[in-house]
Amino acid sequence: MSFGLELRKVKRTGFLPAFLGGGILAAAVPVLNMAFRSEIYVGINAAPVNILLNANWQIMSMFNILLVVVGACIMYNTEYAEGAIQKMCTLPTKESTMFFGKIAVLIAVSILLLLIETISVFGCSVHWFEVSADLYMETLKSFGFFLLLMLPTVFCALLIASLSKNMWIGLGIGVMCVFAATMIPSQNFVLTLFPFALPFQTLENHTADVIRNYAAAGAVETVLIALLEIMILKVRRSFE
Amino acid sequence: MSFLFLVGVELKKIRRSKIFLILVLATVILWIPSVLNADLNFGMQAEGISPENNFFIQGFMAMAWFIFPATMVVITVLQNQTERAGHGILKMLALPVSTAKLCMAKFVVLVSFSAIQFLMSIGMYYVSATIAGSMQNYNFILPPLFIFKEVGMMWISSIPMLSLFWLLAVCIQAPVFSIGIGLASVVPSVLIINTKVYFAYPMAYPFFVITSEYGKLATNLNTAQVELIPWLPVAALITVVCLMISCIRFGQAERR
Repeated sequence: MSFGLELRKVKRTGFLPAFLGGGILAAAVPVLNMAFRSEIYVGINAAPVNILLNANWQIMSMFNILLVVVGACIMYNTEYAEGAIQKMCTLPTKESTMFFGKIAVLIAVSILLLLIETISVFGCSVHWFEVSADLYMETLKSFGFFLLLMLPTVFCALLIASLSKNMWIGLGIGVMCVFAATMIPSQNFVLTLFPFALPFQTLENHTADVIRNYAAAGAVETVLIALLEIMILKVRRSFE
Repeated sequence: MSFLFLVGVELKKIRRSKIFLILVLATVILWIPSVLNADLNFGMQAEGISPENNFFIQGFMAMAWFIFPATMVVITVLQNQTERAGHGILKMLALPVSTAKLCMAKFVVLVSFSAIQFLMSIGMYYVSATIAGSMQNYNFILPPLFIFKEVGMMWISSIPMLSLFWLLAVCIQAPVFSIGIGLASVVPSVLIINTKVYFAYPMAYPFFVITSEYGKLATNLNTAQVELIPWLPVAALITVVCLMISCIRFGQAERR
C-alpha cells in the first residue's frame, strides 16, 4: 500500500519523466561514444561488455547517482515543503513505513534506470562487436551487480534527504558525498566501500573474491543504513 | 529602492540557511585528497610541471569540474525554496519593485556566492599547501598574485554558466527538472573541453580555463588554449540572453 501511495505522491513532481530522461541520457553515452570513436574500441581484445563498461561506466554511474540524490531530495521535499510530514505523523503508521515506501519507489526507478542502460550496452555490443554465447550472461551479471551496489547509495541518499527539512541542505550534502566519491581512488577497497562510491565499480576490474566482498559489503551496508534510519527516526520522534 | 538595497535584502534572506557550512565542507573535502596525496606531485616529470604548480592546478581542476557547478545549483535551489516556503515570493511580487530588478538582485547574490566559494578555496589552498609543504619538506606555496589572477579568470568565466543555472531555476517550476538538468549538464563538461565547440557549453568554461592553464604550466602537455574570438562573443551572448529571459519570466508562474 505504501508503495502505491508514495508513487502517487511523486506523480506530479516530474519524478518519473526525470528518471526516464536521465536513463536515456546515460544510455546515450555508450551509443555516442561508439558512434564517434568506435575505431578505438573495436580492436581491443576483451569481452564487448567489458570494453563498453570500461569506457563509459564512470560517466553513466555518475548520472545514476546524481539522479538518485535528486530523486531522494524531491521525495522528501514534497513532505517537508508544506508540512505534509506532520500530517503523516498523526496517521496510525510508522514514519519508517513511509521511508521504506519511498525506498521501494526509488529502487523501482533505479531498476528502470539500470534496465535502460543495460539495454543500451547490450545493443552496442550487438551492433559493434561480434556476439558471443556468454554475452547474455555477462550483461545480466553486470546488471545484477550494479543493482546490488546501487542499493547502499539509494538508502544513504534517502537517509540524508529524510533528515534535512530544507531541500538545499540534503542536496548539498548529497552532492558533496558524490564529489567525495569521485575523488576516492578505485584501487583502495576500504575507501570504495563509501556508499556513494560503490556504484562506480564494475565487474571486470576485479577478481571473483573481490566481487564477492563487494556484494557482501553492499548487502551489509544496505541493512545497516536501514537500521540506522529506523533508529534516527525513533530518536527524532521522541525529541520533537 | 536602490539595487544595492535589494541585494542586501536577498543576502539577509539566506542568512540562516547554513549554506556557508555546506560551502566550507565542500572546500575542505576538495583539498583533503590533495594534502594526503601530496607526494604524487613529485612524479609529474612526464608532464613537465613543477610540484607546486601541479598541486595548485589539480586542486582547482577538481573544483571546477564538479563541486563548484554543483554547489551553484544547490544555491539556486536555496534561493528558490526560501521564497516558495510560506509564499514569500508572492509578498515580494506585491511590493512596488520591478521584477527584473528583483531577479537581477538574486542573480548578483548567486554570483557573489560563487566569488565567496572561490575565495574560500584560495584560503583553503594556502592552508593545505602549508600543511602539505611541512609534510613533504617542500614549498608548495605560489605567489598570491598568480593565484588570484588564475582564480579570477575562472570566476569571470563561470558567469555565463551561473546565468544559465539561474535561467533553469527561474523558468522550470518543477525542482526535479531544474536541479536534474543543472547537475546532469555538469557531467559531460569533462568530454566537452576536448572538443572544438567548448565555447558553446557554458558549464565547461571554468574547467576549460584551468585545463588550458595546466597546458601552459606543463611543458610537455598540449591542451587547447583560450581563443577569445569565438568564445567571448558567444559567452556574452549566452549570458545576456539567459539573463533577459529569466528577468522576463521571473515571477510569472506565481502571478498567474
